Amino acid sequence: MVILMQGKIVMPGELISEKPERISYSYVDNGKTYSTVVGLFSKGKLVPLQGPYEPLPDDLVVGIVAEVRFSGYNIDMNSPYMAFLSSREIRERFSMSDAILARIIKVDEVKSIDLGDAKKLPKGLLIKVSPVKVPRIIGKKNSMVDMLKSATGCDIFIGRNGYIWIAGKGDAILVQKAIKMIEAQAHTTGLTDRVAQFLKKQK
Amino acid sequence: MGSSQDKPKLLTNGKRIDGRGVEDLRPIKVEARVLNDADGSAYIEWGKNKILAGVYGPSECIPRHDQSLYRSVVRCRYNMAPFSGLEGHGRSGPSRRSKELSKVLKEAFENVIISENFPKTQIEIYVEVLQSDGGTRCAALTAAAVALADAGIPMKDILSAVAVCKIDGQIALDPGKEEDNFGESDMPMAFSTRTGEIMLFQMDGLLTKEEFSKGVKLARAAAEKIRKIQTDAIGKAYEEPKTERFLTIKK
Repeated sequence: MVILMQGKIVMPGELISEKPERISYSYVDNGKTYSTVVGLFSKGKLVPLQGPYEPLPDDLVVGIVAEVRFSGYNIDMNSPYMAFLSSREIRERFSMSDAILARIIKVDEVKSIDLGDAKKLPKGLLIKVSPVKVPRIIGKKNSMVDMLKSATGCDIFIGRNGYIWIAGKGDAILVQKAIKMIEAQAHTTGLTDRVAQFLKKQK
Repeated sequence: MGSSQDKPKLLTNGKRIDGRGVEDLRPIKVEARVLNDADGSAYIEWGKNKILAGVYGPSECIPRHDQSLYRSVVRCRYNMAPFSGLEGHGRSGPSRRSKELSKVLKEAFENVIISENFPKTQIEIYVEVLQSDGGTRCAALTAAAVALADAGIPMKDILSAVAVCKIDGQIALDPGKEEDNFGESDMPMAFSTRTGEIMLFQMDGLLTKEEFSKGVKLARAAAEKIRKIQTDAIGKAYEEPKTERFLTIKK
């Protein structure tokens, strides 16, 4: 049996505060605050347990070149919206289906997304995870991803959007298995230890 | 619909055909997150009804002329499998019935989904009825609400639906197939239990004012029970996480 993380699992429409408060993923009705998502609520913070990627400026994302245009590239980044990477932002040339690592510069109210700081990723494997689980895969001060890197010898590039790029000569399949395990158990405690054990057993 | 000649006796000594009392629900089992490739999914067994719901999105809205710059477009498809029941349901593509149900489900969910967060996108709800036994629209809505919550789509509440019928002159909760076909009236409702608002309301047949208010009261109380089953199902998907998703409903 796994132990859930600190906090309470709340459902859409569940009361989280008797006062009107500005909490992300919540709404205020009649002077009270309610959750809009299935999430973990603790210490005035609501973390969704599932959901789409909502692009924010300064996010580091992994994307796939979906279209080459005259002035730049359309980038698929696991969100309902295509991102645009202007040719002015980059020195190299990309082609269709290249994987890139980039930073979001700007997001406007109709969700046009501009990317910058792009670099091409080396040959590798793309896996998709739920975007809300990404902080858990990175871990506190990169602890989880550093462990995965050293245990498997892979280069791992994690996008905040839920795309993960695994490159290098290591055991990519093992990384994939470990990440799927983290994704399924992201809301539980003692996960780093369990993943460490899992990696040891698999070797 | 059956003719009055082969109408069975629906109520004997306060017991219904399947042995329930007039204020009892059929047994309901819900499981959240049963499909690997949908963003959110749920499976429901409501009496003999077996329904699978899958939710995709928000994703880019295609065709583009359906896009809205202000909100996400909610789409719903209710479909009966060819083997789901008698009467040739689901055997010849979209019918009047399935189009109607798709529309009422869509409009019920448009009330609670906070679609302003995702301009230019669509949210798709697919409901497949595998086996039907009366009250599929309520069961489908209940399952789809769980699937939407599982997909992480922001909503004001989880909707719960239940029907009320009039059989042999008495108001009864949650009609089964015979009660639906031979009863005097059938009234499906969906509630946002947080506020008590009615999000879907349809009615066949006639009811007096008193019967009507009694029916709504009965349904509202039942919706609270159904919501508990729904939230338990969602909670369970997190308490017992699984890497592979599959159906695990056991008898």
